[in-house]
Amino acid sequence: MQKNIKRIHDFKLPTAILGACLLENHSQMIAACMDGIYRIDIESKKYDRISQHDSYASSAVSLTEHQAFVTAGYDGKLKWFSASDNALVRQVKAHDFWSWDMAASKDQRWIASVTGQYLPGDYKYTPAQETEPSVKILDAASGAVVHSLSHVPSVQSVAFSHNSKWIAAGNLMGQVRVWDVSTGEQISMFESKDFTSWGIIKSHCYLGGIFAMEFSPDDQHLIICGMGDMRDPMAGNGKQLWQRWDWQSSKLILQTNDKQSGEGLMEALVLHPSGTSFLMGGRLRGGEWNAALFDLASGERIGTIKSGYRITQMLFNDQDKLIVVGGQGQPSKSDEGKFPDFGRVESYEIND
Amino acid sequence: MSENSKQTHSNPIDCGSPEHRTHRRLFLQGSMASGIASVASFNALFSVPAIAQETKKQGKKCILLWLCGAPSQFETWDPKPGTITGGPFGAIGTSIPGVQISQLMPRCATIMHKLSVIRSMSTEPSEHFQGIDVLTRGEQPRPPFTRPILGSVVAQQLGQLDSPVPQFILLDPCPDGNEFRSFKAGNWAGWLGAQYGPVRSGGEYSIPDILRHESISQVDHEDREALRKFLSRKFENDQRSQAAAGYNAAFERVKGLMSCAPLFDLDKLPEADRQRYGPGAFAQHALQARHLIENGSTFVMVANGMPWDNHVFQHEMHQMLVPELDNILYQLVSDLEQRGLLQDTLVIAMGEFGRTPWLNEARGRDHYSKAWSLAMAGAGIRPGVLIGQTDPMGFEVTQDAIDNRRLFATIFKALGIDPKEQYDLPDLPTFHRVEGNVQPIEELLVG
Repeated sequence: MQKNIKRIHDFKLPTAILGACLLENHSQMIAACMDGIYRIDIESKKYDRISQHDSYASSAVSLTEHQAFVTAGYDGKLKWFSASDNALVRQVKAHDFWSWDMAASKDQRWIASVTGQYLPGDYKYTPAQETEPSVKILDAASGAVVHSLSHVPSVQSVAFSHNSKWIAAGNLMGQVRVWDVSTGEQISMFESKDFTSWGIIKSHCYLGGIFAMEFSPDDQHLIICGMGDMRDPMAGNGKQLWQRWDWQSSKLILQTNDKQSGEGLMEALVLHPSGTSFLMGGRLRGGEWNAALFDLASGERIGTIKSGYRITQMLFNDQDKLIVVGGQGQPSKSDEGKFPDFGRVESYEIND
Repeated sequence: MSENSKQTHSNPIDCGSPEHRTHRRLFLQGSMASGIASVASFNALFSVPAIAQETKKQGKKCILLWLCGAPSQFETWDPKPGTITGGPFGAIGTSIPGVQISQLMPRCATIMHKLSVIRSMSTEPSEHFQGIDVLTRGEQPRPPFTRPILGSVVAQQLGQLDSPVPQFILLDPCPDGNEFRSFKAGNWAGWLGAQYGPVRSGGEYSIPDILRHESISQVDHEDREALRKFLSRKFENDQRSQAAAGYNAAFERVKGLMSCAPLFDLDKLPEADRQRYGPGAFAQHALQARHLIENGSTFVMVANGMPWDNHVFQHEMHQMLVPELDNILYQLVSDLEQRGLLQDTLVIAMGEFGRTPWLNEARGRDHYSKAWSLAMAGAGIRPGVLIGQTDPMGFEVTQDAIDNRRLFATIFKALGIDPKEQYDLPDLPTFHRVEGNVQPIEELLVG
């Protein structure tokens, strides 16, 4: 059954938002932006830049159990802040390179951050082996590193299972590894070759990979997303692609229906609170939508959004409203020394 | 790696050319005589004989690291840390106090005093084909005339026509990798003639069938070639045939390639050197460029398709490309210096323009020709010089704007080639090596 997805609220932030989380009351949000960390009151559209990383802030997670939130950045640092007064509680230099993505376990015991610099490993530019552990699991309460796990750089997405037992991470080459959170033991690995391009024209190197992932509500499957193969990686015109894998048997279950897909990198996934559908969003390169709602069981597309900007993260609040964040292209000219705002926040209602 | 490795060679470093030996047979005497004529014709290529002698004496050479697609100045030579246009990467200090470059270039930072950087390139074309034309030829096109590409000019002016080693070599593994795919031989060398076009090698352009077949002995092979050359020259002279001359030039090139096959075999390069340069195609070909220059080539252009054209994933790609370039440039300059070759070898690292200060929605940087950067080192270039300046966010050049003409005048002068010389082109309009009576960037030039 098709759903009607209607925009009900929107405003702008000064720079593009790369990641976000909702705070406990769900009326406020933390946004990880190119120029720092913002605390936002969604309804009033008021915001403050409360802190910065030494580079772009890339993701944010809320730890309501600890009255805290954590941000990660391209400086490789994770920063814990008090949710009550935004005070910096601790920071951990988790990586030498970027934190591409960060996630918190559902029980809020763990934080995971993934990194990895893509460097050439051979004549064809197959990625070189990692120079630092690509996945770090930290104790959410203390910030102590609990596990340092190996993967192939660059590792661009990470997710915890709903039961908080497993953690999955996906990379440039479409490889997904799953570990037992408590022991750090790798328990599964599968590879999808559909998300990675090797430049047949223009450039002989790899591009793409898995940019977001979520466990299915029963934790049996993993939904991963990115962009399909491109002949010219610089065109950014690969298929808007998600795949659903049985991660324990390394079996592909479902994927984007070709007839329902346009072109562009997809980098945001979120399960609908009902547990029966999910949303995937990103950039529109060609086609009619850049975020869409899919039925979890059939994979059919049942609703679309054409936001007009690149979507980097989607969240549901406690009223089942969809919060979408991202950024337009950066303005090419400043207005008397100030750039027009190009970060975007929108709220949507999803109705039958 | 290549088919060349199937055949053994006595010395992997030497060229191994049979041209270095004198043959006993009659026909080869004819060949040697024609070689003398060719040396004479080398001098005839120069309108001022004194310059010809001087450049031959100088023996200057050039390696162009052609960063096709156009690298970002923000992530290389002109970082703007902490600004809205600066991107996610920081800046680091260099061996020149007060000068910073991108944190992605830690090795070059240590030899900044040996490099020279222009931060104020400002050119007109902002599309690839036009930009490539201008930054490889030095001038906007003027159809139907085709100005020779830099490598062809340098090969003609400084190269040894009779060398079995190709004087202009393009190493590029991507057959569809850049706008050169549409180039014909004449597109490269233009009015200089196809004999000054490049020999292209690398990756999928590895040179096939350049080894002598095992069933033919070396003596037989040389006898056959001497007979072919004798008869062809005779026909060429008797008939004044341009077609026969071109045919002969092609044979000469193939013969040279056959004799120099080891120079094109990456597997013949020392493993330690290959490790130092890095495993990627660009790095391996940069090492091969050094090797070719050491063994008699005059101009080697190293390209790697068009990987710098990052309209999408700007930072995700530059975090790989720039460190590779950083290491290549460091190794190349250091190697040339240690081998006593840097003072005669000009190394240039540049693309056809730069990238926008702003990011597009696909988190890419688009084409930008108004303010961009490049680097040079070696022959004739004063080390440790920084030319020009851009505004705090990199939108505009605020000091010493340099266009393609001044850049080419500087390159030519550094190599000992007269930038103002007029081409001797019967029945064609008047063309100069660099048009517009522009001045080289004197601050960049030694002496």
